[in-house]
Order: sequence, then C-alpha cells, then structure tokens
Amino acid sequence: MFFHIVLERNMQLHPRYFGRNLRDNLVSKLMKDVEGTCSGKHGFVVAITGIENVGKGLIRDGTGFVTFPVKYQCVVFRPFKGEILEAVVTMVNKMGFFAEAGPVQIFVSNHLIPDDMEFQSGDMPNYTTSDGSVKIQKDSEVRLKIIGTRVDATEIFCIGTIKDDFLGVINDPTTT
Amino acid sequence: MSRRRHDEDEDEIEDEEYEDQDDQLIDDEEYDDDMEKRGSSSNRKRSRSSFIDDAAEEDEEEEEEEDDDDEDYGGGGGASKKRKTARKGASFFDLEAQVDTDEDEDDEDGGEDDFIVDGGADLPEEDDGRRVHRRPLLSREDDGEDVDEIYRRIQERYSRTSQGEYDEETTDVEQQALLPSVRDTKFWMVKCAIGRERETAVCLMQKCIDRGPEMQITSVVALDHLKNYIYIEAHKESHVREACKGLRNIFVSSKPMLVPIKEMTDVLSVESKAIDLARDTWVRMKIGNYKGDLAKVVDVDNVKQRVTVKLIPRIDLQALASKLDGRAVAEKKGIKPAPRFMNYDEARELNIRVERRRDPMTGDYFESIEGMLFKDGFLYKTVSMKSITAANIKPSFDELEKFHKPGEHGDDDMASLSTLFANRKKGHFLKGDAVIIVKGDLKNLKGWVEKVEEDSVHIRPEEKGLPKTLTVHEKELCKYFEPGNHVKVVSGSQTGATGMVVKVEQHVLIILSDTTKEHMRVFADDVVESSEVTTGVTKIGDYELHDLVLLDNMSFGVIIRVESEAFQVLKGVPERSEVSLVRLREIKSKIERKSNVQDRYGSTISVKDVVKVLDGPCKGKQGPVEHIYRGILFIHDRHHLEHAGFICVKSQTCGLVGGSRSIGDRNGNAYSGYGNLKNTPRIPPSPRRFQRGGPPFEFGGRGRGGRGGHDALIGTTIKIRQGPFKGYRGRVKDIKGQSVRVELESQMKVVTVDRSCISDNVVVVSTPYRDSSRYGMGSETPMHPSRTPLHPYMTPMRDSGATPIHDGMRTPMRDRAWNPYAPMSPPRDNWEDGNPGSWGTSPQYQRGSTPSRVYEAPTPGGNYSDTGTPRDSSSAYANAPSPYMPSTPGQPMTPGSTAYLPGTPGGQPMTPGTGGLDIMSPVLDNEGGSLMPEILVNVHRGDESLVGVVREVHPDGMCKIGLVGNGDMVTAMASDVEIVGPRKSDKVKIMGGAHRGSTGKLIGVDGTDGIVKLDDTLDVVILDMVILAKLA
Repeated sequence: MFFHIVLERNMQLHPRYFGRNLRDNLVSKLMKDVEGTCSGKHGFVVAITGIENVGKGLIRDGTGFVTFPVKYQCVVFRPFKGEILEAVVTMVNKMGFFAEAGPVQIFVSNHLIPDDMEFQSGDMPNYTTSDGSVKIQKDSEVRLKIIGTRVDATEIFCIGTIKDDFLGVINDPTTT
Repeated sequence: MSRRRHDEDEDEIEDEEYEDQDDQLIDDEEYDDDMEKRGSSSNRKRSRSSFIDDAAEEDEEEEEEEDDDDEDYGGGGGASKKRKTARKGASFFDLEAQVDTDEDEDDEDGGEDDFIVDGGADLPEEDDGRRVHRRPLLSREDDGEDVDEIYRRIQERYSRTSQGEYDEETTDVEQQALLPSVRDTKFWMVKCAIGRERETAVCLMQKCIDRGPEMQITSVVALDHLKNYIYIEAHKESHVREACKGLRNIFVSSKPMLVPIKEMTDVLSVESKAIDLARDTWVRMKIGNYKGDLAKVVDVDNVKQRVTVKLIPRIDLQALASKLDGRAVAEKKGIKPAPRFMNYDEARELNIRVERRRDPMTGDYFESIEGMLFKDGFLYKTVSMKSITAANIKPSFDELEKFHKPGEHGDDDMASLSTLFANRKKGHFLKGDAVIIVKGDLKNLKGWVEKVEEDSVHIRPEEKGLPKTLTVHEKELCKYFEPGNHVKVVSGSQTGATGMVVKVEQHVLIILSDTTKEHMRVFADDVVESSEVTTGVTKIGDYELHDLVLLDNMSFGVIIRVESEAFQVLKGVPERSEVSLVRLREIKSKIERKSNVQDRYGSTISVKDVVKVLDGPCKGKQGPVEHIYRGILFIHDRHHLEHAGFICVKSQTCGLVGGSRSIGDRNGNAYSGYGNLKNTPRIPPSPRRFQRGGPPFEFGGRGRGGRGGHDALIGTTIKIRQGPFKGYRGRVKDIKGQSVRVELESQMKVVTVDRSCISDNVVVVSTPYRDSSRYGMGSETPMHPSRTPLHPYMTPMRDSGATPIHDGMRTPMRDRAWNPYAPMSPPRDNWEDGNPGSWGTSPQYQRGSTPSRVYEAPTPGGNYSDTGTPRDSSSAYANAPSPYMPSTPGQPMTPGSTAYLPGTPGGQPMTPGTGGLDIMSPVLDNEGGSLMPEILVNVHRGDESLVGVVREVHPDGMCKIGLVGNGDMVTAMASDVEIVGPRKSDKVKIMGGAHRGSTGKLIGVDGTDGIVKLDDTLDVVILDMVILAKLA
C-alpha cells in the first residue's frame, strides 16, 4: 500500500555545499540518501514530494559538517499481510516463483499455487495448468495476495499466494 | 471392619469414636505445634478438615446404617439403592484410602480381615496372586452368611464414604485431608533379602492369617522397583519387630526405618511408566540388520515380552535366491542391504516362493517368504521387547515419508503424533501460543494458551459461545500456525532455522527458509513464532557458514551450506559453479587473509565492495564481495538463489560498482555524494578510521587523488599498539598489504608492523592537517605556532626558543652555560652520541654564535636528537632559515638549558656551582625561563645599565623594553638584558617550572631558593631564585 507521509531526517552537509545553493544541495542530497531506502516501519521510500521545512543547522565540532533537520513529504510503499498486489514474475523454479512488485520481492511457493498448475522445467521454467491455458513464467504478470511479510532493516520480503479466487496470471507476455 | 462394628453396640461405637476424635483433637493440636516451623496453614487446615470430615463421615455412617437396615427389611430401598449403585463406580483409590483412615482408628481392635482388606486398599497395584488369596478368606470369614449380606456390607463400606465425596465436590482440601497425618499408622522400611520382597510380603500375610489379631501391623507393601526393602505399616516399631520375628528373609538386625510422613504418599504413588508399548508407536530397532531402523509396533504381547513390528525390509533378494538354490553365499559382512519395500513379483522372478497366508489371529493376509512375513511390502517381524527402544523416538521426516509410501493415511498421522507428543519437552506450550485441538470432541478447535499446568493446558478458544477458557490435556493439543507466520525451528534436525510458513498440513509445516529460500518440512511442535532471522546450524568445529576454507587438495571454496556432518562448499573455480560435499576433516584451514585485487578497470576491490559481473555465465549479477582469494572473488548476490547466493568469479571479469562501503559511515552515508566524489573505493577498509577523522582535509584540495589508495594513512602519525614496538609513535612511510612501514619518532629507524597493530589516536600529533599548515606557513612565519597560548611550548618565550633565529642567537650563551656540566646530564650525552650528525655545524648556527663559542656548538644537536621525529624534521626543512632549529620543539626536554638564556654572560646562574645545582634541581626543569613581559630588567647599553620593564618579547629574541626612567621604549637583544633578581617581599613572576608565567610574592629567600606565595592559588612554593624575576 502506498502512503503519503511526512518524515524527518537529520542531514549532514559538508561545508563546501554552503552558499546560495545550500537548500538545493540539501534537497538533492536528501533525495539521493532517502529515495529507494527501506525502513521497517514505513516501508520503501518511493519518492520525495516536497520539503516541509528545513530546521536550523548545527555545526558539528571537529568536522565542520552541519546537521540540518529536514522534514519532508514522501510516498512510501509498504506491503501488508492480506494485501492484493500485482507483480511481475522474475524467476520460476520448482519451489515456486519469485515476483517483484516494485522494490518488494515476493515469493509464491508451489504450495500456494493452485494444485492444477504443474511445474515444467526446461529452458523457460514455468507453471502450467494441465490444459495449458494458463502459464506462469518469467515476466508474467500475476495478481497475488500477500500472506506473510518479513521486514528487515534494508529489505522487505513477502510470501504470497495465488491459490485464491481472482488471483493468478493477469497478463501473459507470450500471448500478447 | 464394618461387620465388626455392626456387630457391636452402636452407642459403644459412638463413644469410642468420640473418644478417638478427642484424641484426634489433641493430636491435631500437637501436630500443629510440631508443624509450626513449617508454618503451612494448609497443614492446619488439613488436620482440622480431616477431623470435620471424620465426624461427618461418622454421622453419615450411622445414617446409612439405618438406611441399610431399612433396606434389609425391604423398606424404601429404591432410592437409596440406586444411589448406592451409582456410587459403586466411584469407589476408587482415594475412597479406599479414606476408608483406610477410618480403619486406622479401629486398628486398635485389630482384626485379621481388616488387615487383609487394608492390604488390598493400600496395594492397588498388587497383582492377581494376592487377590486370589483374598477371595477364599472372605468366604471363609463369612461362612454362614448369605451372599446378599456380604454384598450389602461391601456396598455399605464403600459407598459410605463416597457419599461425602459426592455431595460436596472433591476439592484439593479434601484430597489433602486424605493424606496421612501423625495419628495414622506409619510406614516402616524393613530390609529383607534381595529378590525376596514379594515373598516376604506374602509370608507376612500368611503369618497374619495364622496368628490373627496378635499381629499388630496393618499392611505390608513390596514394591517392584524397590529392591532389598519392604514397607510395613504399623503404629509402632515394636509391632513391626514383632511381626518380623522368625522370618528368615527379613534381617532383624537392621532397624526398621520410619518413613517420614511427607514421603509416605510417594511410597505408594504409582509412577506410570513413561514407555508403554502401544500399537502404532514408533520404535527403533536396537540390534541386528535393522539396527537403528524405524519400526512401528503392530502388536504387543506383554506376557511373552515380544512385539511385532512393521519394518521396511532390508533384504537382498539375490542373496536370498541363491541361498535357496543351495548355492553358498559369501556373507557380505557389514554391508546392510538398503531398505526397500518388498516386491513380490521380483521375488517370484528369482524363483523365491511367495506364499500367501492368513494369520489365524487377526485374519489378515500375509505374504510369506522364507518364513518372513510381509504385508504391503513391509516386513512384519516379531522381536523381543528388549531389542527395541521406544524412548525418545523422533522419526525424521524422511523415515515417516517412507512409511507413508504405500498409500496409508489418516490414522497414521495420529500415530506419529502420539509418538511426537510423548517426546515433548516440558514447558512446550507457552502462554499466548496459538494451538489447535487434535483429538477428542473439540478436535480442530483453535485457541490460544492462557495457562499451563502440569499436563493440562488452559486455552482460550477462538470460537465464540464457548466458555472463556477450556482445559485441555496437553497431548490433545498441537501448536498451530498459519501461512505467513514467521517462525523459528527450535528442535529437530533443522534447529535454529527460521522461515515463513508457506503451508500447514495438519501438524506439519512447510517453511520457506529465510536464508536458503528453500522449503523445509517441520513439525508444528518443533517451531515457535519468532521474528528473528537465522540460518539454522551454521557451524561445525571452527568452520562457519560462508567461511572461505582451504581444502585438502589446495582448492578452496566458500561454505554454502552446513549439513549434519559435512559442508557444501562452492569451489573457487570461476565461471563454473562446482559444489562439493566436504567433510570436516577434509578442510585444511579457514582462509582469513584479507587482500585486495584489481577489477577490470584497475580499481582496487576489497571485501564488502559491491561489484558487478561483467562477463561470463554470471554476467549481470551484482553484490558485495564476501571473499577474495588468489584473484578470485566470491560475490554474494541475494537474488541469486543457487549456492546460497554465492557466485565465484575472477576479479578481472568484474567491475566495481558505486562507492565502496568500506568508507561510508554507518549511518548509511555511503550513498552520500561525498563518497562518490572521491574515488574512494580504492581505499582499503581498514584505514576507515583515518578517513572518518579526516574527510575535511581530503577535500581541502590536497590533490591526493592521483596517488595510490593508501595516502590516507601514509604520512600520518600513528601509534603502535602491539608488538615489540608497542607504544612507539611514528610516521607512516609506506603501506604494503597488511604491513605498514613506520618511521619511529624516538628511534631513527623504520620498522614494519602489521596494520592491525597501529592506532591512529595520536591526538597530540598532527594529522595531515597540521602538516599542511606547516608547509603553508613555515616559510613566512616560523613563529606562528607559538601563538597558541594553551600549548605548553607555544608560549612566546618558549617558542622563541624554538624558532631558529632566536635559538641561533641564544645558543652561545646557553652552550657556555651548558658545557661544563654536560657530563652531568647523561641523557644529553646520549643524544649527542646517538646523533653525531645532528650537531654538524650549520652556517645558520654559526652566524649567531660568536667565534669564541663555536666549539661549543654541539649543543643544539642535543635539542635536535631530542625531538628527532621524522615529522618534525621534515617540517624543519620547511622552516628553512636554520635546518636545525625547527627541531627545537623538543627542546623543552633539554634540562634547563634555556633557563640560562636570559642570564647575561656575567649572570650568577652561570657559575658552575649554581649551574650544576640548577641542572639537577627538579624545579628547574626543561621549561627554563626566558624573558617574559612585565618583568623588571637591566638593559645593558654599552656601559650603562638601565632599568626597564619588558613590554613585549619577540620570538626572534628581541624585546621591547620600557625604560623606567624616561618611559622610552628601547629594543634590545635578549643577551643584553638581565633580569633583576627579586628581593624578599617583591612581587615576582615565575619564569620556569610548573608555575611558569604565574605571579606571586617572594616571601623569603633561602640560599638559592626563593619562597614564593602564588597570587592565584595562594600556595606557597619553593623555587629557584634564577627563575624568579622581579615584577615591575
């Protein structure tokens, strides 16, 4: 799920960035630092949409660095248990397949793939229904439900299922 | 007993009973007193309640007897009879035990049948043999009475007490009341011949039957598990002795031992045997071909002590066939055929006769081959109970799977469950655990554990409309997980692993391991919910998962998986992933050496740097370098699912990606722009600390980029932390791999030390910053550093001493003062000796010194060597004017040399005598005074001598003096100035020693010492007069 929230961060800025463009530098550094990171609480920071305010800088003794408390608005993405997501399959193996929804990696175990889908090994490993009508392979788009998440400091890993109504392949690159 | 009582007059009984009760009361009180120290109120309660109960029982007894009478006469029997029959079933041990207490009161009367019945009550576990004895006894006793009568009496006896039980629910208190107390008979432990315990008990019983009431013991207990002893229940030890007299199996010599009241219940409490071989339990074979194999019990014959088990056969059909053909078969010793299900067709093909038989007992059909019975491919074998173990069987998944093979399901799960449950550890369930009921009426009810007691677990059911908590037996519960739970395996082969539950199959979970991204099957019982992420067993011996190890054949690889006794190692063969299973002993050593290699573009890669594979089969993979060895990188790509994410590539096929983590600080600033700006990846990880300390300087445009990656350390002054040079400081000259060449400050030599043995926390000394400032300023303002007042040797005077010109000008005098006493300061000597080169005459020096003093020149050398640090010397050259002089920062160490500086040639201090003293005087240390502002001096101008006050002192030795007379300012050389010695009560300024710079009052003079009262601290100190100057 995406959220638009306000976060705060203390930015350390090197003195050489001081000057007219200080604010710009600060913002670009903030973007560089924050976008794409993941925190357990908020999930992935997708984009910074604005700066709320920049606090007073504090000069660090010894280094000359200046710390600015920056409040910024950003869009975060955090997967939740039970959430339905659309994801792109990145890898298929006999244990299931991995899919990615943006920065989140989701594993769908073969136990959570409908029983009528069988693993087919080969050049392009895939899961196929017995009648061959549905095929999950690399680059397929699937709709899945997240049943568990593991949130580490730097990544979020989920396991999902497609063994439910209205879940499964939504767009197969090979057919389109 | 009841019969007896019945025979007696009711009143009498009552009287007696009440007497008894009185006794009891007294007893109770005594008892209470006795037990005071235990301080347990429950005891008190117990005794009291036992009293009450007894009374109540008596009442009931009477009532019932009346009832019975009614009954006997056919009146109104219906209801009461029903009641009694209903109670019949309730007559269990406890009740009997209660009866027992009643009987105990009557025991005084004695009575053989009492005794016998007692025995029965006390020995519920006694086997049939004894009962057989009892039956004829009763009938004999009851001769002439009709069966109804007996029935009635028995009914009466047992139902009587149960009434109380029934009406008021059994509570703990009442149970407590049943426990023996002091008024009850006691147990005596009597030693008897080993193995004759039962026999002895029977003998005693026989004796009682023969002797009748004169035997005053109430029961005898022989316990199977207790050898060498029997228990005799009696009131007094003498009764026991009496009873034991004449029995050859009892050793009369040994004193009967009293069993403490507390332990009496334990004597007779029945320990249910943990292992009861029931059908469908899993066992393991202990001996034979099937040793260690899992087997399932199909039939138990307790009498013959034999068990029929179901096994996966290990039969070599070929061998069997040849044996049947009469051919001699060479016994393959030690080779067990692999377990395999029996294939009858195959057997028939080999001309082995397969008969089909029906088991007469069960009616099942078995295939019989060579006397062995098979069914469904399993071997059914009857073995002795001793050849199997049933305790702590933990069937592994594979084994269970195998047993499942021929399509059995359902109840089988239950079987494995029961075995698993038997092996549960204590405290298996914890509050808050999600559980599911797997047996009984409430099967499949989910809930949460609220409370755990011994065997029963209180759970809060998930369903609504049920009581708030339910009490369920532990064995009917199983832990419950849902897909998506993150769990940790706490027992079994996968112990320690964590993962997410992917699927739940009854009590089996399928878990996706966090690390390997593989499926694991585990029992729900073996896991707990956890947010932790671990890998399971990660270590055998010294080797851990992901270690780089050197193998036997000089190959190497990374441990990518730790199995029960071996490691899976990804060999260091680039471009081809070769995995081998390696045993512990095949590993030679762990490779811990850190090295750096060059990537395709020549940048240095070190461990933890992120690289991208540019070529080969793994092209495109990217990840941090975990190990580097012989130009081969092991990269960990978390998206790579094979080999635990490890990829083995040549360093030349990789390119460094982005900034190196090794320099980023921990706050994640590795991403910061700075990191990228300076081609940092080249800097090896270890000097990180320097880096952190120094970034500003790096940015200061020092233009280091072009040089090797080690600059950060090179040129810095470090301290050696370990090894023979521990404690030395020095400047880093060069870095080669792990070793660092350090030029020691104190010894003119360069040593090589390990990088790990140095520390950069040399605060005093300049990091590159300081250096650079010197470079920058040295030539223009050599005296500049002196302006920092805080610095001990940076005060103007001192510094001026340090500055070339000044020194140059001064030395002559000092030297003169010095030389005569040089021998008296050995260190000085050493320096000179050690650094002969250092005192080579320099033009600069010469210039300042008068010709007559040239020969004294060597002294500066002392200074020099004293401070002979590489750093200083290098900066020295920057301060070009006099090469030697810059080294003088160390000068402070030359004892007292400067102390004489202010002194005019004729000055008293210069006299040998004082000089000698001065040098040795501790007060007069290296901080020796020179001119300071505000002191009163005599200025020699030509022949005249003027009194003035020093206003300013220039580092070059010149000073501005305000003349006292006309207020003129004159500038004079230090050599032309003489300090005016203070007198008593003068205000003075201290020009040397610890108090240098402070002012005070000279309150007394003692020879060459002056007693000074300091202005700021009001301390009184004794100082040498030479360092005291009169304050203007």
